[in-house]
Amino acid sequence: MGRGMRAYPYPRLSGAVTARVTAVRLRGPGEHREQLDVRACSAVEQVVALGRAERDDWRTARIGLAASVPAREIRRKGHWSDVSVVAVLTEGATNARSVARLSPAPGSEGDWAGEIELDRDDHLDRASLTVHVVARVEGVAGRIIASTEQEWMIDMTADAPLRARQLDVQTVSFTRGAEWLRAFRDAPWVVDASGRMPNVRLNSDFEGLAALMEGQGSKVERVVGEMLLAQICADVWTAVFHTAIGDLEVEDDGTPLFPPDWRGAVLREMLPDIFPGRSAEDALREVHLRRIGEGSWADLQPRIHLAAARRSDVPKALATTVRDIELLEQEMHA
Amino acid sequence: MTSRPEHLPEHLALLTDAQAAEFISDGLLEGREDVPSIALNKIAEPLPGDETRWQLHRVRDLIDDALGAIRDARPTAADAWLAPRLHETLRLTRREASEKRLWTYLALGVAPDYVVWRHRSEPKGQGRYGRVSRGRFVGPHYTQAFARLWWSAELFRDGSDYRPVVVACGNQDMLNSALRLDVVDHRPTALALVRLLEKGTVRTGREVNALTSAVNAAAATLMYDVMAPDVERDRDVVRDWIRASESAVPSPRNDLPEGPEEERAPADAVDVLSSLFEELFTNAPVRGRASAGGD
Repeated sequence: MGRGMRAYPYPRLSGAVTARVTAVRLRGPGEHREQLDVRACSAVEQVVALGRAERDDWRTARIGLAASVPAREIRRKGHWSDVSVVAVLTEGATNARSVARLSPAPGSEGDWAGEIELDRDDHLDRASLTVHVVARVEGVAGRIIASTEQEWMIDMTADAPLRARQLDVQTVSFTRGAEWLRAFRDAPWVVDASGRMPNVRLNSDFEGLAALMEGQGSKVERVVGEMLLAQICADVWTAVFHTAIGDLEVEDDGTPLFPPDWRGAVLREMLPDIFPGRSAEDALREVHLRRIGEGSWADLQPRIHLAAARRSDVPKALATTVRDIELLEQEMHA
Repeated sequence: MTSRPEHLPEHLALLTDAQAAEFISDGLLEGREDVPSIALNKIAEPLPGDETRWQLHRVRDLIDDALGAIRDARPTAADAWLAPRLHETLRLTRREASEKRLWTYLALGVAPDYVVWRHRSEPKGQGRYGRVSRGRFVGPHYTQAFARLWWSAELFRDGSDYRPVVVACGNQDMLNSALRLDVVDHRPTALALVRLLEKGTVRTGREVNALTSAVNAAAATLMYDVMAPDVERDRDVVRDWIRASESAVPSPRNDLPEGPEEERAPADAVDVLSSLFEELFTNAPVRGRASAGGD
């Protein structure tokens, strides 16, 4: 059941609550202070990219917030008293949770403002920030009467404030790099989906590959590089899908659970292509059953590949490549 | 039975799931085989730097003592003994503790014998072996053999006081169900759950599960953080405590160790929530209990 479907046993606000990050101040060891530049925050994406900090030794980030709540509705309907507005910052990976109360901003009704502090040692990857309106309702204190529709993401390392994540690609020598890579020394790339984020390692021993991927070379190289990138992305989606499915938590009654991290997000995105028309939960159960040997796992593979190829724009990249090659040939014969 | 690794290097290391996969054999999961420790340490990535807290023998000594202290009792009894001492020995920031590769290395490279002893199920028939579930080696923080202990100590301690951790870890249902829930990330909530265990309001697995589900469900409409605010945490205290591990003596084996001197959770906050949770529990459906509120 989606959040919106929940029936609450008490009156809630129907107007929207919105929040925006107004400033980010970083503090480092000693007297180091830094105001994060405005391009680190995107109000459209609702992301703060702390990777834009000039110095990498900051310890805490103070995030300035402005929220707006439907004040007229609160006044007019009169259901709610002791209204407070709080910001909640959480990250699942570190079980971190901190809360700050906002204060009514002087002058304009419905505007609240405040700050919440984040300690770098308490966070790993992405913290999410939501604002809630809490009030006493029908004698019960502490009721959540409204929340922001979409959370802000505080990304600890990203340079750009974007919600969609970029693939982590590293170029390393497979023969001289980490021991486990040696077994793959003839491969141009490997995908490692076991970590915090999927990671692609390009083999620097594979001559010309890095140059091809960087897209700095000739027209032909650029065309091939684009195609290769799409193909690698498809490999990543496939690997991530299999990793996620292979490591599902299963309830006592056999119901598989969506992983709480990005693996869950990947499954939710790919399942509609694998079992069109079925609910995500249903599709997950079906895939899980087939994987553990009840039903055909092999029959499913083409659909997994299709879902992966769609997500990585392989058809589009291929079409572009074909067209570009035609153009190049025409140029050569012109 | 799986034995203590033959080769134990000086420092702790990191191991990815992909690297771990080749060492998690059926033989290991059934406790029939050892982990080839030389091969494992060849691919594991040693932790950088020369900090005392990364010395492997400090953790291994603790595990040896846990095995010695608990050997005759039920393996589950080891959780309450080991959780605070592991937390105090392995002083980590939360960011460091969220590193799955460290826990995987502890389970495979430092103490696979402990994981098998503690988590192997009873054999399901003659000539069959019991089995450790894979998640005890490489699972999420609420399943993995050592991560679950460290995190329960981190989430249930009250400042430097580990006594609530001992209570929480003394009840497998509390440890298993509460650690999965986000609500325990709010300290007064975690401590109020412990209070109800101490008072005997909840005892059996069914009661504990009914309580934690009711508390979790109510959190969708109630903001515990506002009803029972915690103090702002001073992370510098934790940083100092971590730094002090350079000169720390081994964790006491008989007495409880002391954690970082952070301020305790406000007593009235814990009071407010434990009364609320008691009320939620009274009205919650418990399997096998006649319904209290009437459906």
